[in-house]
Amino acid sequence: MKIKHHGKTSPTNLKQRFFLWSSLILISGGLLLSLLSFWNTRRLLMAEAMDKSEVLLQEVEAIRTYVKSELRPKMAELHGKDAFIIEAMSTTYISTTIMDTFSQSMPNYIYRRASYNPLNPKNMADPFEEEMLDWFEEDSSRTFWQGVVKKNGESFFISMVPDYFASPCLRCHGDAKDAPQPLIDRYGKTNGFRFQTGDLAGLNSVAIPVSASIRAAWQGSLVLFLITIPASLLLLWLLNLLFQRLVIERLGVMLSIMQEKKKETDAEQPGDELDALHASLGSLRQFVHSARKGSSLQPNFINGYVTGIPITAGAMSWLYNGYTTKADNREDVAIKIGFDEALQNPLYRACFETELNLFETLSHPCLPKFRERIGDVVILDAVNGEALSSLFEKGPLQEHLTKSIFSQLCDLTAHMHATGVVHHDLRPQILHFDEKENLTLLDMGLASNDQQPDPIAAAGLGPQGDLLYMAPEQIQGKRGDPRSDIYTIGVLLYLANTGKLPFSSKQRSLQNWVQHKAKFVIEKDDQDALTPELIDIILKALSNSPEKRYQWVEDLREDLEKVFS
Amino acid sequence: MRLMIFSDIHGNLEALENVLRDAAKRNVHRSICLGDLVGYGPYPNECIELIRNVKNCRCLAGNHDVAALWEASPYGMSKAAKEAILWTMDQLSSDNKDYLSSLPDRIDLDEMTFVHANPYNPKGWRYVMDRKYALRSFAATRSRFVFIGHSHRPLVISKKHWLSVSIEPITGDTEYGVNDSRRRIINCGSVGQPRDNDPRACYLIYDTRKQTINFHRVEYDVQKTVEAIQNANLPPVLGRRIVKGT
Repeated sequence: MKIKHHGKTSPTNLKQRFFLWSSLILISGGLLLSLLSFWNTRRLLMAEAMDKSEVLLQEVEAIRTYVKSELRPKMAELHGKDAFIIEAMSTTYISTTIMDTFSQSMPNYIYRRASYNPLNPKNMADPFEEEMLDWFEEDSSRTFWQGVVKKNGESFFISMVPDYFASPCLRCHGDAKDAPQPLIDRYGKTNGFRFQTGDLAGLNSVAIPVSASIRAAWQGSLVLFLITIPASLLLLWLLNLLFQRLVIERLGVMLSIMQEKKKETDAEQPGDELDALHASLGSLRQFVHSARKGSSLQPNFINGYVTGIPITAGAMSWLYNGYTTKADNREDVAIKIGFDEALQNPLYRACFETELNLFETLSHPCLPKFRERIGDVVILDAVNGEALSSLFEKGPLQEHLTKSIFSQLCDLTAHMHATGVVHHDLRPQILHFDEKENLTLLDMGLASNDQQPDPIAAAGLGPQGDLLYMAPEQIQGKRGDPRSDIYTIGVLLYLANTGKLPFSSKQRSLQNWVQHKAKFVIEKDDQDALTPELIDIILKALSNSPEKRYQWVEDLREDLEKVFS
Repeated sequence: MRLMIFSDIHGNLEALENVLRDAAKRNVHRSICLGDLVGYGPYPNECIELIRNVKNCRCLAGNHDVAALWEASPYGMSKAAKEAILWTMDQLSSDNKDYLSSLPDRIDLDEMTFVHANPYNPKGWRYVMDRKYALRSFAATRSRFVFIGHSHRPLVISKKHWLSVSIEPITGDTEYGVNDSRRRIINCGSVGQPRDNDPRACYLIYDTRKQTINFHRVEYDVQKTVEAIQNANLPPVLGRRIVKGT
C-alpha cells in the first residue's frame, strides 16, 4: 500500500499537534491580552496627564499675560514709569511664586521656568531643559512639546511651551544699566541680561510623575496574565477532552486499520491521522471510476483457476464466473476480486477484508461456500441462477417464489444479525435465485460486524450503497442497526409483490431522500395487488422510525409465514 | 423473537445436549451463551464443538475459558477448579483454543447487554448477587436488561429506584413477566453445574413479543457425567457437586 501524500506532513500525531497549537495559541492570547491591557492603561494615563499639564500651563500663561497686560501697567501708573516692584511686575517671579504655593498643596504637579541665562539662578536649565531649549531654538515654529522623561530614576510626563522676549521685557533683561534698581539689588548684574526682542526667554513646563501609575498598570497586566494562564489551562484541558471524544477516538479506529495495513505491506509512513485519511479519500474518485468500468478488469488466470465473465459488481469487488484448470476434473467456481483502487485505499481495503472474513467465517445455505483465498482473491463455490433484479423486472412474483425468496432471505439476515453482522446493502442485484429456488447472497462489501471497528462509520463517509433500498437512518449516516436491513427487506417485499419500487423517483440530495421516504404511502393501484396482512407487514417494515419497525427480522419472518401459509 | 440464554456449561456435555434438545422444541430463534464452556467438566472439546454448531448462536468468554488459555491465572481459583483447568488445558484442541480466544467479553443487542459476570468490569469476574454490585451494574450500562451468568444461581434483580433494588431468586420452571419499563439484571443460572440446590440444568428464553422470560430446568443423566469425571481423574468433589446441585 502506498499512500499518496497531499502537501506537507508531520510525524507528530493529531492530538499532540492540536495540544501544542492550542496551548501556543492560548498562551500567546493571554500574553497579547495582558500587553494590550497595559498599552491601553498607559494610553489613558498619558491622555489624563496631558490634559492636566495643559490646563496648568494655560493657567500659568494666563497669570503671565495678566501680569504683562494688567498688573504691570497699573503698577507703573501708580508708582511712576521708573518704578519696579518685582513682586507685582515680574512675570517670572509672580508665576513661579504662585506655582510654588500651588505645589505645596499639590506636590505631584511640578512647574518649572527654565532658561539658559536666568536672573534667578534657581531657574537655570538642567541638561534636559537645555536640550529642549536648543530644540525650540532650532525652529521657532515649534510651540509645544510633550513626553515622558526619566529623572533620578523617576518617570515624569512633561509638557513644555517656549517663551520669547517682547520689547517690554527688555527693560529687565536688556542692558543691565537700564534694569530697575530693585532687580539689580535682588539678583545682581551678572545673569539675565543682554537679551534682544524675539530671543528665547525660557521654557515653561509642567511635570507630572507617572512612575507609580505605570508600575500599577504593569502589575495589573501581570495579574491579568497570571489569571489567564490557569484559565487557559482549564480551557485547554476541556478542548482536548472534547477533541479526544469527537475526533481522536473516531480517527483512532481508522488509524489502527491503516497501521495494520501498513505492517502488512510495509507502506510509506503517512503524516498524522488526517493526512492518512486525506490520502484515503483522495483515491475514492479513482475507485468509483474503476467500479464503473469494472467489467473490463477481467484477469485470465489466477493460480489454478480461470476467470470467465463477471456475474455482478459488489461494493468493493467484482464476482466472476470461473473454473479450475484441472483438465480431468473441471469444477465451476465463483471468483471474487477486489478493485485495485479499492485495495490501495486503506478504508476500502478494510471493508474488503471484512467481507472476505465474513465469507470465510459465516456459514449459511444462502452464502456461497468459501474454498480458498489467494492473496486478495477469494474462490467461492459456483453461483447459479439470475439476479433478483432481473426477476423483479418481469413483474410481481408468484406467491410460492415470494415465499421461498423471503423465507431464505429472512433466515440469512437473521443468521447475520445473530452473529453481529449488519449487511447494509441488500440490493436485488447481489441476490441470485436459481431454478432449485436457492437464494444466494453474493456480496457483503458494506457489512459491519459489532466486534470489529467499522471503517465507514469511523471515517464518517456517509451513506454507502443504493439509496433506493436504504433505510432513512442509514441515509443519514447511521450504521450498525439491524433494523436498517429490515427496512431494505420491506422494500424488496414491496418490489416482489407489486413489480414496482416504493420510491420510484430519484432525489437530488440526501435530505430530499429522507423526506421522500418519510412520506411513503402505498398507492391505490398497488394496494389492490396486496393482501391487507401484507400491507400491514410492508408498512411496518418500511416505518420511517426504526423504533416503529420490526425490531427483529425473526418477527418479520414469522408474520410473513402466517401470510404465505 | 425468542432468544435462548444459557451459561456455565463447564464441560458437562450431557447437560448441554439435553438443554439444546429442550430448547429446540420451544421454537428458539437465536441463542447466546454467556461463557464458561469449559472447566470442572470432562468434555471441554465436545461442548465447544457442539456450541459452535448451534445455529444463530453467539458466545461470550467466561473466567474458566480465559483461565484455560492462560490469559488469566487459574491459581486464584479453588483447588478443584484449578486442577480441572490444568487438566482442560491439556485436553483442548488448538482449533478450540482459537475459538475460545476469539470470544468477546460483552455483547450489546438492542436494549440488552450480555456479560458473563458483570457489566462494570467484565474481566473482574465479581458476582452480582447483592444491592451494591447490582446498582454498580445498572450504572455501567443504559440497557434495559443485563443478562449475566457466573454465579450458577438463576436470579432476577429489578431496579426500583436509584438506590433500591429487589432481588428475586428463581426456582424451577418459572415464567417471569417483563412487560413494564423496569430495568433488570437477569441471571440465567448454569447448564453444567447449578448451585441452587436443584441439580437440573438451567437456561432461559426471552420472548421479545410477549415480554416474558421463561426459566427452564432440564433433567439429564447426572450419573453419566459423574462417571466421566471419575474416568478423567478429575477431583471427585466435582461429581458430588453436580449430584447435589451445590
